[in-house]
Amino acid sequence: MKKGLNTGLTAFAVLTYLILIGLPTRLEGAAQPVLALLLALFFFAVLRSQGKEMGRGELLQSGLVAGLVAGLLVVAEIGFFVGLLADGVKIQPVFDKVVPLNMAALLNVRAGAIINGETSLLAYAILTAYLTGAGLLGGLLVLFTRSGTASTVRSTRIPGGRWLVILLPFLLFAFIYYLGLDGVKTFGNDKNIVRLLLVLVATGAGLFALAAAKEGVEKLAIGGLLAGVLLFLPFVLNQFQNSVMSIVFIFVMMGLGLNIVVGYAGLLDLGYVAFFAIGAYVYAFVAAPFSSPYISSLLTGMGISPDSPLLGYWSAIPLAMITAAIGGVLLGIPVLRLRGDYLAIVTLGFGEIIRLFMLNLGDLTNGPRGLLQIAQPTLFGVAPSALTSHLDAQGWIFLLAIFGSAVVAFVAIRLNDSRLGRAWVAMREDEDVAQATGIHLVQTKLLAFAIGATFAGLAGQLYAARQINIFPENFSLFVSIDALALIIVGGMGSIPGVVLGALALKGLPEVLRGVDEYRIVAFATLLIVMMIVRPEGILPSARRRRELHSAEAPPPDESDVSDKPTDGQLEGGRA
Amino acid sequence: MPMQKQSLSKSLTLLFGIVVGLLVIWRVVTVGMAEGYPASFWISQGINGLVLGGVYALVALGYTLVYGILFMINFAHGEVMMLGGITGFFALQFAAAQGWMEGSTAVVVAALLFILVAGMLGSVVTGVALERLAYRPLRRAPRLVPLISAIGASLFLQYSVLLIFGVSPHSYRKPDLISGGIRTGDVFIPYTGLIIFVASILLMLGLYLIVQRTKLGRAMRAVAEDKDTASLMGVNVDAVIVATFVLGSALAGAAGVMLGFHNTVVKFNSGFIPGLKAFTAAVLGGIGNIPGAMFGALILGMIEALGPSALGIPTEYKDIIAFSVLVLILIFRPSGIFGEILSEKKA
Repeated sequence: MKKGLNTGLTAFAVLTYLILIGLPTRLEGAAQPVLALLLALFFFAVLRSQGKEMGRGELLQSGLVAGLVAGLLVVAEIGFFVGLLADGVKIQPVFDKVVPLNMAALLNVRAGAIINGETSLLAYAILTAYLTGAGLLGGLLVLFTRSGTASTVRSTRIPGGRWLVILLPFLLFAFIYYLGLDGVKTFGNDKNIVRLLLVLVATGAGLFALAAAKEGVEKLAIGGLLAGVLLFLPFVLNQFQNSVMSIVFIFVMMGLGLNIVVGYAGLLDLGYVAFFAIGAYVYAFVAAPFSSPYISSLLTGMGISPDSPLLGYWSAIPLAMITAAIGGVLLGIPVLRLRGDYLAIVTLGFGEIIRLFMLNLGDLTNGPRGLLQIAQPTLFGVAPSALTSHLDAQGWIFLLAIFGSAVVAFVAIRLNDSRLGRAWVAMREDEDVAQATGIHLVQTKLLAFAIGATFAGLAGQLYAARQINIFPENFSLFVSIDALALIIVGGMGSIPGVVLGALALKGLPEVLRGVDEYRIVAFATLLIVMMIVRPEGILPSARRRRELHSAEAPPPDESDVSDKPTDGQLEGGRA
Repeated sequence: MPMQKQSLSKSLTLLFGIVVGLLVIWRVVTVGMAEGYPASFWISQGINGLVLGGVYALVALGYTLVYGILFMINFAHGEVMMLGGITGFFALQFAAAQGWMEGSTAVVVAALLFILVAGMLGSVVTGVALERLAYRPLRRAPRLVPLISAIGASLFLQYSVLLIFGVSPHSYRKPDLISGGIRTGDVFIPYTGLIIFVASILLMLGLYLIVQRTKLGRAMRAVAEDKDTASLMGVNVDAVIVATFVLGSALAGAAGVMLGFHNTVVKFNSGFIPGLKAFTAAVLGGIGNIPGAMFGALILGMIEALGPSALGIPTEYKDIIAFSVLVLILIFRPSGIFGEILSEKKA
């Protein structure tokens, strides 16, 4: 009873927050069911964690009480707001999103009814019923999912379940292909989005299939098939879908690079955007020299016309990578002696410094006006869209991003299994011990920074080509945060995890365009919740999962140190 | 062999440091000879620096207190300050609507105190909620985990404020009582600057007395030394941690309100950069060290106010100067100017 009351109060706080940020306004007619569903999930999570000892009746009662408390409080709050609005009190100067439309969506009435004060009690009762129902549904869900305890569920798998997981992505892709047969490029806007969502889900399912496959031939076969399907995608998707998928895979490249720095070597780098920016700007300098006042005057002085690109996309790759790597080493040298949190703040500062330079060095970078008309990558001097009508410009970038990700993933896998990879892990675990076992810390750290930066440079170059025009605001702190969030959500140190994170965090917001303004808040909540509930990520590497959960279930041979195993596993202990 | 490598890294940093130091000195000397600003200019800038330093100090103390006890960087502390500023803004609106801001001197002073306390309360609520929801569940987790959670909390607070209170910046209207200033010769000191400096010194003094002279302060120092032993001695560790967040947040709230009056505007992201600067100040003075944070903040404020003119670069680069100071301090003296020599593990 008391627990139910507490849960209800918490749910009321959450609902109030959602009302204040104006989510109901965006949901319009669907506000009541969607909020009820969200609330049911919330109750499910809370009741499952606190209701382990509860009996069936107690659990349902708890859910019912929580739902009723939340419902009554929210209704009272809405009634208060509606009363104010009907009296013509302006709430907006304080709470920007508390407007008649918001209240109307919550009560499922017309906005006019709110302004004229014509709301019926029935509307309030229906909302209360929805929220109480959500509490009950949460309790029922808990009952339903725990009918067998967690361990028995795992051991008694559905026969053939593994094959279902493995086949699912291919079935989904087949379905998408079937949908796409009647005129790929003529879909309306909504179908456009639905197909993009399907592509994202199918690709994500592919990662789970890969994780479910047995090591060896099976894994290779499935990986090969998935790669084949993926390479086919740019030819069948339309311009919009390709542009979303290309940014997803550019962030896969970024994430894989950052994964080396953070996931493998345990160096928390919040200024990763700096190398991304270096790659993009270096390519822009050589591919659009006329945009930069300094470079174009320099070239004119040397008797070269600045109107044409100095280097093509392919020949600029080594330049972008090497410049970014030099940036990585330059950042690495001063921060060699720093650990953990200090490193995070210094790298954050470095990222800001690079952005401020781009903004203020007007002669070189053209300041906030940006570098424009960056030359597009070609295939042996020919634009691919001229070769086949099935591949548009964005599809070509998507294809390049897939290739880039594959190369980066291959290098990352090989590095992880190499001597250097083991040195990184050892350094992450304990620097002093690593040094005592003969690991050259300076060299190992600098290599991590340099290799991570190289990949970011590669991604940045492709990003510049994708954007055609780049501006300093493309390279804000949020690029670093996005990249960090995607490796954390996906699973630190795990390559399928990075791809999954990019699909979820860069792809899904494009699908949910209508609620785009809530993207950052949702990310931030996700970061906190992931840290509390599942710090190893959704698709973690086996090693990381064992590390972060060793406290809960210490393996027998490590039980003698189990009183403090969670301390300082990411970068050395603390005092 | 490892010894040699360690010393190679050390001599590399030393060489780097000497080069940077020489470059800065050369730049200051050449610019100083070329520009020749009058003395009054430097005095005005110095006063600006002290005012800025006072605000940074209040925020820096929050970082230092939390770091001293939990060994974690409360990345969202700048946002705690910003929420104090926002709450203060609404308190100001309320006070103005009651007509308190046009009353007699005593009424206006009381109203200003009311606004300050409201801002502090707003920050305290935020800080305590932050500790309860985002940090306490992670107290035993590896060090990187609470930091990532704190980054999430910082973003969450910023963008929630943006969504809830809207995009338009909230402008503080100064009452006539504090909108003027003192002018002596070419030097102008605004009243707000004076009030900020005096108030921050008083608040810092209060904090110092709490930490050094009260039972709570002794418990805080005990927890900072060793949580487990402190709890064996009958100290309620959770309560002490909450009290630490309350103290740090209250100071940040005061800073938020005062910065609101000084800059006349509060926005969803107006806590972020000052938060980073205050962190720099805390590191500069030696993180975990209370007097260190105050002096570090005053020094950083001065560097930021005088630096761009002394180096002859545009003022847009003042953030770069602050970050560079942070990087240089962390490289050459990670324990800060006044810091105890921290063990490698703490740093």
